[in-house]
Amino acid sequence: MKKALVLLLLALSLCLVGCGAKPSGAQSEAEAIEKYGSAVLKVYMPGEYLGENVIQNFEKQFGVKVIMENFDSNEMMYTKLQAGDSYDVLIPSDYMIERLIKGDYLQPLDHSLLPNLGNLADAVRNMDYDPDNTWSVPYFWGSVGLVYNTENVDPKVMEAEGWEILRDTDYAGQIYIYDSERDSFMMAFKALGYSMNTDNSDEIQAAYEWLREMNQTMDPIYVTDEVIDSMIGGYKDIAVVYSGDATVILDENEDMGFFMPNEGTNIWCDAMVIPANAENPLLAHEFINYFLTYEAAFDNSETVGYASPHAQVLEEMSTQEDLYAENEAYLPRSNYKNDEMFHDNVVLQKELSQLWIKVKAEK
Amino acid sequence: MKQFRSMTYPYVLWISVMIIVPMLLIVLYAFTVSGNDVLTFQFTLENFHRFITDSVFRAVLWRSLLIAVITTLICVLLGYPIAYIIAQMGEHANTVMILLITMPTWVNMLVRTYAWMGILQDEGVLNSLLGVFGIGPVQMIHTSFAVILGMVYNFIPFMILQIHTSLAKMDKSLLNAANDLGANPVQAFLRVTLPLSVPGIISGITLVFLPAVSSFFIPKLLGGGQYVLVGNIIETQFLTTGDWNFGSAISMIMALIIMLSMYLTRKVDVSAASNGKE
Repeated sequence: MKKALVLLLLALSLCLVGCGAKPSGAQSEAEAIEKYGSAVLKVYMPGEYLGENVIQNFEKQFGVKVIMENFDSNEMMYTKLQAGDSYDVLIPSDYMIERLIKGDYLQPLDHSLLPNLGNLADAVRNMDYDPDNTWSVPYFWGSVGLVYNTENVDPKVMEAEGWEILRDTDYAGQIYIYDSERDSFMMAFKALGYSMNTDNSDEIQAAYEWLREMNQTMDPIYVTDEVIDSMIGGYKDIAVVYSGDATVILDENEDMGFFMPNEGTNIWCDAMVIPANAENPLLAHEFINYFLTYEAAFDNSETVGYASPHAQVLEEMSTQEDLYAENEAYLPRSNYKNDEMFHDNVVLQKELSQLWIKVKAEK
Repeated sequence: MKQFRSMTYPYVLWISVMIIVPMLLIVLYAFTVSGNDVLTFQFTLENFHRFITDSVFRAVLWRSLLIAVITTLICVLLGYPIAYIIAQMGEHANTVMILLITMPTWVNMLVRTYAWMGILQDEGVLNSLLGVFGIGPVQMIHTSFAVILGMVYNFIPFMILQIHTSLAKMDKSLLNAANDLGANPVQAFLRVTLPLSVPGIISGITLVFLPAVSSFFIPKLLGGGQYVLVGNIIETQFLTTGDWNFGSAISMIMALIIMLSMYLTRKVDVSAASNGKE
């Protein structure tokens, strides 16, 4: 079966070489097959997370075909991996990479195939979950914060109350909460002054009560990606938003501001990894290396609005006025003492998930 | 006839692989918890106990049943007159109307529900229309109204088709007989047409109630994340929490409730049929 497929691809590529003139400097499909063993790459990553032309340019330059699949959540991706699905490149989040490493789902990266690794910004080097980039290469990074309408919410009040503003009944009926147990419990833990990685049952109970009270008194709407359009439209005054989505909102609606509460927030990093059962690891390395080039990183960050892991792109995006210099959401805070990253804890996550559905169900 | 018996084997195989094995897996998951390395699972009733004893989960269960019952009632009240009118039409118009009723189901249910999201949004089609007359914006999305509307819209074709079938095959001479015996049209409808269409109503109820009670994407899309029904809890257990055992237990509880309600409606069906014979 595989042989037949290779033959078919070969025949196809011969035809392509014969029929079409290839762009100069670009690799043909036949060359790609010779080099990587196959010209097909399967990528599994979050949706709406790519620059406009990155994939097309990669396909053209290397003479390959990228099959793209999107997931809604890290957990969904993990479920599919467990079921035995095979991909060449995955882009999960920090804590999930910890879990994948523990479960032997990944293969170590060959740094000799990733010469662009030197382009990484200092802020995304030495990440706790993978300090030497043995398993992963950062793709985007960011924080979680509050987007608010500066016309209706005084920045001073915002600064003074931090996460507690989500329980300030002056703003009842005016808030969007991101529908995820991790992010919701994160803000409750931070508001109460705990670590977001706590597994102390009293602290979990206190956070649960915090969220229940918010649910009962504030009449919040729980949303996911639709929060972007809703806040651009200005339907409500306050929303819990990921920094990159906030960048887009602030770009479109100048009344909106972004605030990272002083009690601390979640700093996260999504990174590219190669699963152990990848069918085309050589091309997967080429893909990762390509995403560390200036043009790919620039296109990605400019389109999506999340902070780039590429040192030069990050510098330009956050300092040039025609890019995101005046957008307070673009650049996440680095090295702030109350900020934390998530660590993988399946038992804890299960417990929080059960509590979260109960918070939402209690109406 | 005997020589045809072997032809059922593929069918039996299909049923066992696609229906019986998955059901058995759900039962197995529902009664177990993942154990340690030596013993991969242990038998327990803990999953059921957890669901039944939790007041929040019980409230969600009631809410789901209530929404499903309301949806089914609206489908009967709206669907019956429509089916009745269609059944009175000439043969040609009849075919066209049935085609029109089934046409929306050619488009994926998810896509149609997304369309409703656009219609019911705060700045959606409906609110813009109301805005022209100086009304609103009225909060429609993320309310029970939106969820029930979405369910009625998606499931009402099943009700109409079932009732229509039973009305269409009814012997029209019975109405003439009723007329001859002095019944006015209302009496004829109540004494002849309605009892004869009860089987259609019953199967319509079954076809609407089942998907309504377990739907998870309609409440999610039209009700928002805060609109939690049993289907959403089950979905979360499988996709987010990864607690397949608890999810299976809830599915089994739902299956039992559905089986019970089907049994009860069958009883109504039988008694209605025997009433008709008198």
